[in-house]
Amino acid sequence: MSSTQSATPLLSPQLLAQLERLELVSRKIFRGRLKGERRSKRKGQSVEFADFRNYVPGDDIRFIDWNLYARLDRLFLKLYLEEEDLHFHALIDTSASMDFGDPTKLHYAKQLAAALGFIGLCRADRVKIEALGASRKNPAPALRGRSSMWRMLDYLNSIQPGDNIPLAQGVKDFCLRNSGQGILVLITDLMDKSGYESALRYLLARNIDVYVIHVLSQAEIEPAVTGDLRLVDCEDADVAEITVSRPLLNRYQQTLAAFIDGAREFCTRRGMSYLMTSTETPVEQLVNNYLRQRGLVR
Amino acid sequence: MNFLSALTPLQWLLLASVPPAIISLYFLKLKRHPVEVPSTYLWTRTIEDLHVNSIWQRLRQSLLLFLQLLVLLLAILACLRPGWRGTNLIGDRFIFLVDTSASMSATDVGPSRLEAAKKHAVGLIEQMESSDVAMVISFSDVPRIEQAFTNNRSALRQAVNQIKQTNRRTNISEALRHASGLANPGRTSEAGTSDVQVADALPATMYIMSDGGVPAVSDFAPGNLTARYIKIGTATPKNVGIVAFSTERNPEKPGQLQAFARLENSGVEDVEVDVALYLDGGLVDASSVTVPIDAAEGVSFVLNDIESAILRLEVQSQDDMSLDNEAFATINTPRRARVLVVTLGNDALKFAITTEAAARVADVAFADPAVLETKEHETLALAGAYDLIVYDRCVPKAMPEANTLFIGRVPPAEGWSAEAPKPSPLIIDIDRLHPLMHLVELGSILIFDSLPLKGPEGATSLIDADHGSLLMIAPRKGFEDAALAFELVGAYPDGEVNAKTNWPRRKSFPVFVMNTLRYLGGARASLAVQGSQPGQPVKLRTEAVADQITVESPTGVRTKVQRESQSTFVFTRAEELGVYTVREGAEREAGQHFAINLFDSRESDLVPREVIDIPYFDENTEQVGVHASLAEPGRKELWKWFLIFGLVVLLFEWYVYNRRVYL
Repeated sequence: MSSTQSATPLLSPQLLAQLERLELVSRKIFRGRLKGERRSKRKGQSVEFADFRNYVPGDDIRFIDWNLYARLDRLFLKLYLEEEDLHFHALIDTSASMDFGDPTKLHYAKQLAAALGFIGLCRADRVKIEALGASRKNPAPALRGRSSMWRMLDYLNSIQPGDNIPLAQGVKDFCLRNSGQGILVLITDLMDKSGYESALRYLLARNIDVYVIHVLSQAEIEPAVTGDLRLVDCEDADVAEITVSRPLLNRYQQTLAAFIDGAREFCTRRGMSYLMTSTETPVEQLVNNYLRQRGLVR
Repeated sequence: MNFLSALTPLQWLLLASVPPAIISLYFLKLKRHPVEVPSTYLWTRTIEDLHVNSIWQRLRQSLLLFLQLLVLLLAILACLRPGWRGTNLIGDRFIFLVDTSASMSATDVGPSRLEAAKKHAVGLIEQMESSDVAMVISFSDVPRIEQAFTNNRSALRQAVNQIKQTNRRTNISEALRHASGLANPGRTSEAGTSDVQVADALPATMYIMSDGGVPAVSDFAPGNLTARYIKIGTATPKNVGIVAFSTERNPEKPGQLQAFARLENSGVEDVEVDVALYLDGGLVDASSVTVPIDAAEGVSFVLNDIESAILRLEVQSQDDMSLDNEAFATINTPRRARVLVVTLGNDALKFAITTEAAARVADVAFADPAVLETKEHETLALAGAYDLIVYDRCVPKAMPEANTLFIGRVPPAEGWSAEAPKPSPLIIDIDRLHPLMHLVELGSILIFDSLPLKGPEGATSLIDADHGSLLMIAPRKGFEDAALAFELVGAYPDGEVNAKTNWPRRKSFPVFVMNTLRYLGGARASLAVQGSQPGQPVKLRTEAVADQITVESPTGVRTKVQRESQSTFVFTRAEELGVYTVREGAEREAGQHFAINLFDSRESDLVPREVIDIPYFDENTEQVGVHASLAEPGRKELWKWFLIFGLVVLLFEWYVYNRRVYL
């Protein structure tokens, strides 16, 4: 399935041009390790003026506005907007189930990760894109700066499907090895028979901005199957025998809708952003419209 | 409710093996096509609750099987041909006799009696077993074999459906003879040996679908034939019909014409009807007549004398039969006879034949016997240029193509002879019924001498005298030759030529001459054209010599008729009722008209008869004649409904299969 997509580039020049204008946004106040281009909600040292406040002893006298003191004979402190960097993590599910669809869900996930990662690189954020469960074999590089784009793409291209580790274990691995705050985008199809809830709970424990992007192929949203079939799970070779009928398809739709609603509700209740997308939705559209609306980028 | 199997046991066996085959195929088909999917996660959850009531699910999934078995069940039921209330067919050979006479056009049973009879016949055909054979005969006054014996039911059905209504009268005897022909094969007898039957007698059942209005048949032996009469028609039909319509000149008032009609009422109550008379399409008179039940009523109209016209009489009443509500009469311009008198001179004859009255009916030419020698006369005589040639004391070399009257001579034709003249014959008897002798009184007539005539075979003596016949008439190839045994004027033994009888001085002589002109001259008096009944041949004569005439039927069908050996034309296709137009040769103008009318009391009497009077002993009623069976409706069949329902189920099965709809 993936053979056709391997040739298509993850990021097209047009998309790159669009992405350059965007930046990643975190809803949480956190402290980056380096000063970045990001305007923090904290007031701090930068060139951009934010406000004044009364001087209290102990304040850095370098920020006292002497002009105001001359005029008013009172001490005011000039506050500046602090700019800092952001940690951006993209976590891609590489289980075999992601290797379905046209384009495959994995390819789509890579494109999305590349797009978001590029935005981060452009804004000098710390970008780390990782495949679930791949950290041991092929640790993901932490990247910063536009020049790292090629490294990012190389890494993405090297990700292969087939790491059938449970979602929870993959997320746990990630959480153990990565501390700190920032944005985490989990790109997955959530098709884990043991459930996605425990995996998402690991992420909750971190003070981190979590975006769950639920990627489904069109074949999963509207299965074009007919006849008497023996469905074989590509991950665990589990078998389901069905006789396709209109009521069965309707029931499947209901189950799918319940599954999506369940995931959305789980995420929303826990302050995570949830977005379901089909591989048919172009990445450009997803980034420009949906993620903008959700506030991941602006 | 009973069943008529449409299949043979072997075919049933084949059909019975289909349901097990369907069921086994259903179990065999459970091979599922493997498909790899990203995850069975959602599918498993989807079918989880379906498994909860899996037995019901399995039943629901077997809907296709059920539908297939249902289709098959319906097919089997259709093959069993369930039905009820049929007239049971007796035996395995059937003859369906369908009456197509005029009375079967009655509409007291819709759409018409004939259609009802056909429907009934088709109903009986439907009940035939596949090994049964049947034939279809339609009959009016002539029978017509629509389909010979066959077991092909569709051919029989088609034959019945193609039976057409006729306007003819009814005569069943020929049809019965046809029907009995196969049931009762003839025997051959040889001297000294016993009878040898030439073919096996094949008993058959004959179903007569008729209203029973048939004349009695006496010379019919049913033999192996069983007869059933299926009476078609309601017991209380309504019909007032014209059974006669003619025109006459008023003998008392010259220049007046009288039209007479007789109406008959075969209904159940007295009926008052309006009768209208149309002359060439225009209404000229009408009158109101009350016709009592089962009785006739006359109606007459007085018209001014007309040279040529078409009269149409119409009964303006809504009844069950329309054929007899109209009658036609034609008045044609009189055609004068062409008469040649070959004589040495006969004042008495000349005087009688050139009267004003005679001139109205005949063009008379006189010729000297010398003309008989000429080639020209011979050609004319052989071409039929004359209707009548009178040979007075002379004979031609060959008999002409015309009627002849020989006076005092023996016709030179085969069979004619005479003995030597005998003196003073005494008239004993005259045939007053013959048209030639109409109103001819021969009392106190003196005759000098006469030739005792002997005529050929078929000759009739019209005047018998003590020495032999004085006037004989004999047919010859469609013509008639009359011979008067005595001369009117002749030479006495002393050589003097003088009257040899005093008959010309009697009143009866010119009457005889007029009768001769009318009868032998074939003069068609203007009102004398007798209409004919449908199907009967019509004999026509032409004004001028023509080889061919064209007859146009009331519906405009033109038929060319060639001249017969004499100058008559016989038209045999007078099937339609109405006025036919005759055109002579290449003429465009209508030369004459003749009318074809039904005029049959039996056909106009629509009350269906209970018995068909034929020499047949009905075992059911133990009476002679075929008694009416109740006209039971044909067998009601259900197989079509089963088949239609089966098709609907099949359609539904197809829909379920394609749309995967499970209820």
